[in-house]
Amino acid sequence: MLTELLQGTDAGGFLLIQDSACLSGRHLLRSFINAALNREEAVHVLGFEVGEEELKDGLKGSPIQRLHFHNAYTDPLGWTDNPTFTVHQFCLEELTRLVKQTSHPKPATLVIDSLSWILRHHSPPAVCKTLQQLRKGGAVRAIIALLHADMHQRGTVGSVCQLATSVVTVAPGMKGDEAVAKITKRSKSGKVMQDEEIFSIKEDLTVAVQSRPSHLGPKQTDPEEQETDPTANLTFNLRLSDTEREAKEKLSLPFVFSKEKKTALLHSGPGSGRILYEPDANDDYDQEDPDDDLDV
Amino acid sequence: ETMKQYCGSVMAAPMSSAGKPSAERSPFNTTSFQKKTRSRLISIPGTRPSVQNGQLLVSTGVTSLDYLLGGGLAVGTVLLIEEDRYDSYSRMILKYFLAEGVVCRHELFVAAAHDNPDDILQELPAPILDDVAIHKPVEQPRLSCEPQDSLDAMKIAWRYQNLPKVQSALASSSRFGHYYDVSKTMEPEIRQAAKCHRFYLPEHPTQSSPTHSTMLQSYSALLKSLQEVIHREGFEVAAPMSKSRNILRIGLHSLGSVLWGDDLCCHDNPSNSHALTTFLYGLRALLRSSLSVAVVTVPSHLIQDRALMGSITRLCDNAIALESFKGSERETNPLYKDYHGLLYVRQVPHLNCLASKLPDHKDLAFKLKRKQFTIEVCSSISHDLLRQRISVISGGVFLLKKIVGQQLLRTKVRTGNYIT
Repeated sequence: MLTELLQGTDAGGFLLIQDSACLSGRHLLRSFINAALNREEAVHVLGFEVGEEELKDGLKGSPIQRLHFHNAYTDPLGWTDNPTFTVHQFCLEELTRLVKQTSHPKPATLVIDSLSWILRHHSPPAVCKTLQQLRKGGAVRAIIALLHADMHQRGTVGSVCQLATSVVTVAPGMKGDEAVAKITKRSKSGKVMQDEEIFSIKEDLTVAVQSRPSHLGPKQTDPEEQETDPTANLTFNLRLSDTEREAKEKLSLPFVFSKEKKTALLHSGPGSGRILYEPDANDDYDQEDPDDDLDV
Repeated sequence: ETMKQYCGSVMAAPMSSAGKPSAERSPFNTTSFQKKTRSRLISIPGTRPSVQNGQLLVSTGVTSLDYLLGGGLAVGTVLLIEEDRYDSYSRMILKYFLAEGVVCRHELFVAAAHDNPDDILQELPAPILDDVAIHKPVEQPRLSCEPQDSLDAMKIAWRYQNLPKVQSALASSSRFGHYYDVSKTMEPEIRQAAKCHRFYLPEHPTQSSPTHSTMLQSYSALLKSLQEVIHREGFEVAAPMSKSRNILRIGLHSLGSVLWGDDLCCHDNPSNSHALTTFLYGLRALLRSSLSVAVVTVPSHLIQDRALMGSITRLCDNAIALESFKGSERETNPLYKDYHGLLYVRQVPHLNCLASKLPDHKDLAFKLKRKQFTIEVCSSISHDLLRQRISVISGGVFLLKKIVGQQLLRTKVRTGNYIT
């Protein structure tokens, strides 16, 4: 499922990459940026946590011109006189203006590195409202955001995940360069699909997905519990052999008529009157005749 | 403001209006036969009095849920549904509730902050009845052109083959509780026949001026909108009896979630801890004085403050909680393979009585099948819990032999440790 997500999110999609202190999700984020650039999309990055060179490291070639980095790393809170991008500019109007500045035929993909930074300075309801407005607005085709799950309360993480159409949670794998991704994807019809894959990121920022991880530890199977077959160990026989089954099918039951007689009875001709009366809840289906106790 | 008061006011309707033939005659009424009803209640289509306490009930759209709630949802009450993790099944029950309203020709009010109410209305499941579509004439049972196929269909009960599979009642809306096919959506003609009021939060911009009320602006806007609809469309119990009465079905999706502007689900100690509870209090007051019924879904799995969740449950009359197996280790557990999740009945109302009858069984599981949402007692749950309760302490080794079909446990204690 990871490769499908890398190939492109649907319009109006919101992909959330959740990471923790054990493993950074930024490498995967950069792979997603790389994939979007290779699809000839314009990518706008709100960079709060790392500088431009570090983010662009590894991205090569002409597609890099379509990457617009908005530097919120040097002065995110606007302490100097000329801040490039501050956290206070994270609202629908400012972001729409920012994205529309660069003229590009296709609507852009917005990448947020990271959402945790914004959640430190804005209330979660406001952040979620802005994200939802961006999704429905149309200025931005898709949103990819990085969230550090261990930096927030469970409710906050859960609320943001509910907004996302796909959530990828990364965790360290067994070997050094491998990582485990738990993916949850919500389709438009409401169906939820889940998957768990091992992946590694190569030098050129492409993702190699390996097989599913084997479940760690033995499954808790109870050796004592066996399925007891109720038809075994009985003094009478409950099973049917094949010949017996055939004979059973061939047996004609007492009120089974031939096909002709059945058709004749089913499609009865005119003249047979039928009274169809459906007593419903309101009816008082009383058999007694109320005139019975009349003393006449 | 008890239920009996408004039921009483409905019952005290003038006899003339109860006896006169209904203005809208169902096209299936081919006879002039008038049923003599014993009660003097104006019968509103899609409702019936409860056998337990005489309250006016409506169906939730899920017949097994109606049974759990004591026959149906009492008019004037609120049903709280605690959402499952991905809001799949709670949303489904909300859709069943609204679909039932369309079929019974009630009016609908849908409010949501996340999705557009129109999207929710377009996803309503199709009813399984051949007489619900009011504009279509009743189809006579077709005589099958291929007798072989139909005769082979039923071997023993062949006499019933040509009868229609579902009894087409003379008046479809008099039936209580319908079945739906979730693989198909309701046809637009049927849906548009019902009157729907919508409330989509992004269309109601909040003013930036701070208010001094404990309720959030989003909730107060919703409550105001509800009040206005109830008053304008004549759902108040005190409204003049000249009009034919109907029920308003209110569906409120994901209240308390972050998109309503509430931080109840985000923070462990929310700053607006009383916003939702105040709203529910106001909602219940509104419902008690009107012929309406509400279903509210809340993402309770995100609410960390359990005391607050308890208050929210108390403020609603009926409350159920859904827990889906998706994503948990129970999904692969063979004990639960027949079900999609667990259902907990948190509360049933006691209206006009001292105590209510809680359902006997605590271990309920649900399964969403194509034509039915079934809720059953799951015996596997008891086995699973039994296994969990027996724990090993301080290095002892135990052998448990559980005999299938009997509740007997034989334990072989190897060391002198005890089982708790």
